Amino acid sequence: MRKIAIAGSPNVGKSVMFNNLTGTYATVSNYPGTTVEVSRGKCKIGNEEFEIIDTPGMYSLLPLSEEERVSRAILLEEEPCCVLHVIDAKNLERMLSFTLQLLEAGIPIILVLNIMDEARGLGINIDTARLEKELNIPVVATVSTTGEGMDILKGKIEAHVKKFC
Amino acid sequence: MSKSFAKHIGYDDPLEIYLSRLEGLLSADYRISRRSVALLILQEDKEILNLVQEKEKTHRQEIAGIIEEAKKHFSHPLNYIISLCRQKEAALISGQVMSVKKNTKNSLRSIVSRAMMNPFIGGPFLLLVLYYGLYKFVGVFGAGVLVNFLEEHIFSSHVNPIMISLVKNTVHFQPLQDLLVGDYGIITLGFRYAFAIILPIVATFFFAFAIIEDTGYLPRLAMLVDQLFKKIGLSGRAVIPLVLGLGCSTMATIVTRTLPTKRERIIATLLLALAIPCSAQMGVIMGLLGDKPLGLVIWLLVIIGVFLIVGFLAAKIMPGELPSFYMEIPPLRLPHLWNILRKTFVRLKWYFFEVLPLFVFASVFIWLGQLTGVFNFLVKIMEYPIRLIGLPSQASVAFLFGFFRRDYGAAGLYDLKKAGLLSGNQLVIGCITLTLFLPCIAQLLMNIKERGLRLGIAMSVFILFFSFAVGFAVSQIFLLFHLHI
Repeated sequence: MRKIAIAGSPNVGKSVMFNNLTGTYATVSNYPGTTVEVSRGKCKIGNEEFEIIDTPGMYSLLPLSEEERVSRAILLEEEPCCVLHVIDAKNLERMLSFTLQLLEAGIPIILVLNIMDEARGLGINIDTARLEKELNIPVVATVSTTGEGMDILKGKIEAHVKKFC
Repeated sequence: MSKSFAKHIGYDDPLEIYLSRLEGLLSADYRISRRSVALLILQEDKEILNLVQEKEKTHRQEIAGIIEEAKKHFSHPLNYIISLCRQKEAALISGQVMSVKKNTKNSLRSIVSRAMMNPFIGGPFLLLVLYYGLYKFVGVFGAGVLVNFLEEHIFSSHVNPIMISLVKNTVHFQPLQDLLVGDYGIITLGFRYAFAIILPIVATFFFAFAIIEDTGYLPRLAMLVDQLFKKIGLSGRAVIPLVLGLGCSTMATIVTRTLPTKRERIIATLLLALAIPCSAQMGVIMGLLGDKPLGLVIWLLVIIGVFLIVGFLAAKIMPGELPSFYMEIPPLRLPHLWNILRKTFVRLKWYFFEVLPLFVFASVFIWLGQLTGVFNFLVKIMEYPIRLIGLPSQASVAFLFGFFRRDYGAAGLYDLKKAGLLSGNQLVIGCITLTLFLPCIAQLLMNIKERGLRLGIAMSVFILFFSFAVGFAVSQIFLLFHLHI
């Protein structure tokens, strides 16, 4: 079974994303570092079933804590066919830095701009089409707690997998 | 892995030269781009360095040489310089795609958020949270109202009599009857403790905790106590495992993994095992001391004192750099009821699967011990330290229970109190000693798993002697000042 990993900084909604995709439950809280163990589940996208891996939060590819080491090991050793880099849309600038590292490493990613509702509430507007062009990867805006954008995300995963794996 | 994604970010000139020299030396497959590996080498990532040394035996010296050269060339650490370049690129891109319409309303959220982190408002606010969330809801409602109802109206009056007569009518072998429905029987003791005493307390705690954590209060609490925690060798980050420890210390010991240094993880594990009572235990203690407010205050002060003093000493004994504290402060949010219920349920399930087998095991163990006489022997040994701290010898059974589960021990005291065997002073001393007393079996196993056999055992031995020493000291103080609670 091919794998899809969910990665990103702490407290950006990775576990909610995981729950949405797999229909199972990983503990979700409003503070960084809720996920200390790796959750795995299954999700059918298109006609294929994938293994979804939820990783503890990491700030960069250079790990500082034990959980970050665990997360990096998953990205490097399990060779997921696609990594969903989930970021908090409110902090695009700060979080893009890690996106760039993942791209630099040649890891196949889809950028997920999550928590779009709060970003919109702050008056933030992000041109996702332009961002896709700049980074040359798929970009999706989502609100994982309400499920907004999940269908688009699945569509992009399907297209991505067809093209590259 | 397809390299078609590899994006090129330009770094400053000298850095690029070092990078391309390193890339040229790398010949093995690392599953990520060579450029990325070269960057990690320059930032001296230990794991990657080991890997590279293994895979590129012929170029070891050269690689080490390049790192040294690069380090000398810059006055700042290399990872700082590399991050800076990347951050510039990120700022450039986000500037192109993002626009912000300034939102002028100074939201209520940010005012509340700042208030929570201000020592003068945040401190009293914390006390309010503890008073209503912990004391009123978990202590009075969970451990009082719910436990009484389940104990008196369900178990004592319905479940136990029915089960006892059922077993006595179907099983005619006396020892087996004892195992199931005797004084320490699986049904009469194990199930009763688990469902009538532990379940309502733990459920109310996890429910309250879920609300607190989903609002985003914990990271703010972390900011608030960071300065104090620095004194005991921890950073504000440790708030999360420690507060979770008030629910279940075993679960919290796993969460110490989020602490960045080994030193912090050890101190947090020790404090969790020693001075953080779990919700079940705390609930029972609140029930025990509920009608003695002064006793409750003394208990609280002693536990907090032990927490701070042991933390302070541990930080002194264990050398290490001061922890740095960096934590994202998430926005305050209104929790979703559904997520709270679901999370409470998931934690309860985890807890129960952890606990129930141990309760059954404890009943079997005590039963075996009684059949062979070992149990009575242990109770007799335990009576010495128990009498030393001024408790009646019957309390030694409760302490033996404490070996199995912390809350189990406290529940044992509950039975003694109901029988009218404990004075106010004895109750307070018993509660203090049991709170500090050994971590339960599950937590001991977790300590060994996370911190290693040597440290896990050493902590338990220390705690065993320390808890009785504190109990003894408190009983002497009571005598000295003729205090009667």
